[in-house]
Amino acid sequence: MIVEKLVRGVDERLDTTSFIRRNLRKVFPDHWSFMLGEVALYAFVLLVLTGIFLTFFFVASHETVVYDGPYEPLRGQEVSAAYDSVMRISLEVRAGLVMRQTHHWAALIFMAATIVHMLRVFFTGAFRAPRELSWMLGVLLFFTGIGAGFTGYSLPDDLLSGTGLRIIYSAVVGIPFVGPWAAFLFFGGEFPAPELLSRIYILHVLLIPLAILGLLGGHLSLVWLQTHTQFRAPGRTERTVTGTPVWPRFALKAVGLAFVTWAVSALLGGIAQINPVWLYGPFVPYSAPSPAQPDFYVGWLEGLLRLWPAWEFTLLGVTVSSAFLPGAVVPGVITGILLLWPFLESWATGDREWHHFAQRPREAPVRTAIGAGGLTVFTILMLSGSNDVLAHFLHVEVDGLNSVLRWSLLFLPAVVAIVTYRICRDLRDRDARPIQRPARSRVRRTTTGGYEADHEELGTTGGGP
Amino acid sequence: MNRPERPVAIALVASIVAALGLFVVYAAGGQPQLEGILLFISLGGLGVALMLWARGLMTSITDETQERHAPASPGDVDSATAAVEEGVEEIRRRRFLSRLLLAAAGALGLAALFPVRSLGGSPGDALATTAWSPGDRLVTVDGDPLTIDALELESFTTVFPEDAVGSSDAQAVLIRVDPSLLELTDEQLAATAQGYIAYSKLCTHAGCPLGLYLAATHELRCPCHQSTFAVLQGAEPVYGPAARALPQLPIEIGEDGYLRATGDFTGPAGPSYWNMPT
Amino acid sequence: MTRQARILTWVLRVGLIAAIVGQVAWSFRPGVGRAQTDEEALGRRLYESGCITCHGVDGTGTDLGPSLEGVGTASVHFYLSTGRMPLANPGDQPSRRPSTYTDDEIEAFVAYLAPLVAGGPEIPDVHIAGADLSRGSQLFLNNCAACHGAGAGGDSIGGGQIAPSLVEPTAQQIVEAIRIGPGLMPRWSETTMEPADADAVAAYLVWLRDNADEGGIQLGRVGAVAEGLIAMVVGLGLILLVIRLTRAKA
Repeated sequence: MIVEKLVRGVDERLDTTSFIRRNLRKVFPDHWSFMLGEVALYAFVLLVLTGIFLTFFFVASHETVVYDGPYEPLRGQEVSAAYDSVMRISLEVRAGLVMRQTHHWAALIFMAATIVHMLRVFFTGAFRAPRELSWMLGVLLFFTGIGAGFTGYSLPDDLLSGTGLRIIYSAVVGIPFVGPWAAFLFFGGEFPAPELLSRIYILHVLLIPLAILGLLGGHLSLVWLQTHTQFRAPGRTERTVTGTPVWPRFALKAVGLAFVTWAVSALLGGIAQINPVWLYGPFVPYSAPSPAQPDFYVGWLEGLLRLWPAWEFTLLGVTVSSAFLPGAVVPGVITGILLLWPFLESWATGDREWHHFAQRPREAPVRTAIGAGGLTVFTILMLSGSNDVLAHFLHVEVDGLNSVLRWSLLFLPAVVAIVTYRICRDLRDRDARPIQRPARSRVRRTTTGGYEADHEELGTTGGGP
Repeated sequence: MNRPERPVAIALVASIVAALGLFVVYAAGGQPQLEGILLFISLGGLGVALMLWARGLMTSITDETQERHAPASPGDVDSATAAVEEGVEEIRRRRFLSRLLLAAAGALGLAALFPVRSLGGSPGDALATTAWSPGDRLVTVDGDPLTIDALELESFTTVFPEDAVGSSDAQAVLIRVDPSLLELTDEQLAATAQGYIAYSKLCTHAGCPLGLYLAATHELRCPCHQSTFAVLQGAEPVYGPAARALPQLPIEIGEDGYLRATGDFTGPAGPSYWNMPT
Repeated sequence: MTRQARILTWVLRVGLIAAIVGQVAWSFRPGVGRAQTDEEALGRRLYESGCITCHGVDGTGTDLGPSLEGVGTASVHFYLSTGRMPLANPGDQPSRRPSTYTDDEIEAFVAYLAPLVAGGPEIPDVHIAGADLSRGSQLFLNNCAACHGAGAGGDSIGGGQIAPSLVEPTAQQIVEAIRIGPGLMPRWSETTMEPADADAVAAYLVWLRDNADEGGIQLGRVGAVAEGLIAMVVGLGLILLVIRLTRAKA
């Protein structure tokens, strides 16, 4: 009754019945690997909800206060108001620590889900026409996500995140011609400028979330309008999509998945300590802790900075700092390749057709090989970013480990790509030409004492999706 | 309740109990680990229940097949393009005015960039100079000036100019070594004082303060990316991604016995940049 | 007995007694120290059985090990109580192990070696009760965290060595290490870091052992590396597991 009144009331004013009917009946394919993007979305929702709670307590000010809270080793020390407020949230506000830690774990899960989702879309070719724009929005979401995370964990103004900010500042300073100006404009002056904290705050709670919402809105609308890809199966065609209708089945599953994502984030948020800023101490500009790593999704950039050789040179009076290439140029190139991949691939293959079928990775051996090589590069860089932790854990010498990682970076991706290509080709050929089982015969003794043979029909074995 | 419904019911009951538990824990003052576990059960119970219900119980709702969104027909594209182009043409018809319009938009766009300039000052020579001036006493982070017995051999400490304690770019590391081990140029040697040698504490790679002093090998190492500098050889980089030696702070022991700087660093402190003085 | 025989007998007796006395006197010869008390004698015996091969008869070193002259009683106590010495093989990196010697034996070492090692840092008198944790944490973060990790979990520092975790050593061993600078570590004398400050650092580290983990499981206090791993494997893994487990039985 109530539902009917509601629907009628809305429809009479907005003329929506056909819209509602069409869209509630819209179908979405229900494969597990299609849910990764959803997980990222629900993690983002949790980030907004827990983030709102945190903004009620966080103080985005660099002014110094004297800490007099319950954490003994800090008592009496001068810390920034921002750091003090985060200590208060963590140790004095009821449910503050679980909210703060859930917020941070949700950020890690958001980025992890985004990365795995990107890999899924890449390896199934779901970025091909007509979904190129969707892919590009997704890549931009990945990078804004990195920005959101980085600004987020820099807000407590602790020693570890402050060191990370200084590294970014140095990378910007090293850009030829515009570096020093850009760094002073963006960071508010020579590091550490007083305005820096409040700028990071506004970026983190307003500008970047608005950007993510915009990009997400576009990304999701495109998926909705263009319909989701699906795997091949008997009875499916390029022109149709088979799946679960939105209401009630898909919607309920989606809401359920949201709660599961939130549940796992909250579990980690309660039982697993993350970013214990009281251990790092407040930021001071004359100290740096170790091990000094950013959050994992920035680890590949950190690895680039650690592995890159010490090449600094002066060209026509312009000094190119040793941090410029690994800190600005290489990431820029990687971003460009990622962003433009659908166009690069269609140019290379000459394929401009629309595709609604998701491919199995083996169906596109070259792309899968390149993707596997790229993933190898990404993994080696992430490991390199944690080389001192790795060396400590493996009881090896860190300088030797660096050599191993450098050589791996040069050769391993190509090896992985070649091997992947071969495997894909073999799997694809096996599907196309299944092995024929040899005919089997059985020899029987007849009642009269002779022998006779039965032949089985030639059959097939293996193959088939 | 039949058998397939049971897991859903159990999950929902667990969720309710855990939510009630959350009330209790919160009222009792809160405890992060308990809160996390109870949130996990209450949120997770609800989530698992919904997923089991949707995927496992709603089996009467079967998959359907629908038409996808098809590419627009050439006729539609043409008429849309034509509609847009007609509007553009109407503006461009008046050539002089449309050029003026473009100029106005460009000028206003450039002017709108000016507030960006207020975001920060001009770098000027800020990156090349620090607060060190000749005669400044070296002090520790506690503000204590240093005399010749301040450090023993193979000891190090962080120093600042007396009027800029805690300064980000003036920070320096003071080390005492056996002077016979130093392998410096005459100029560098003149900038040391009886085995005391001071370098900028900012790594020339990405600017992290160098906190690791490996005393036995006389190397300063950066915790960020492992750049290593040889203290006895003028802080030349010997490992890692840094490519420029740490600038040296020239020091002397004043007549009053205190360690003093005789000038600013011998080069820009921190990471290199495009027009730095070489 | 003839006169020559009598003289010969006396000479032999005197010679025998002299030889015995000489032997005994020889065994009390000055080695590294003057072995006069039971404790010093024990120390000497231990030294001769466990250390002499590398550090030499008189402690001035050999090809296999450095001289112990002037290293200070703090060094003796530190290296022996943390099990860093004796090394299983010369050339190994010293690392923390269960100590081979009892406390009494280590005291014997100290007593025996004291004259040789004099000049270096002495065994410090450490009091951590009531120390200023705030001062200790500040000093630790400014001077030690770059090598030993902000969470005192240790880190790989290059040069073939690690800065070990500071969760295991006692406050005594911590202050000794500060004074002697073992391995690649620099050192701080009593003038560079007052006893009260060194005690504060040790007090903070001891406090850190059982505190500062309000957030839950501390994941080795390693930081973002462990957190990222857990998020990917446990976080995403759990979610994917639920997705797989709840799928339709169709």
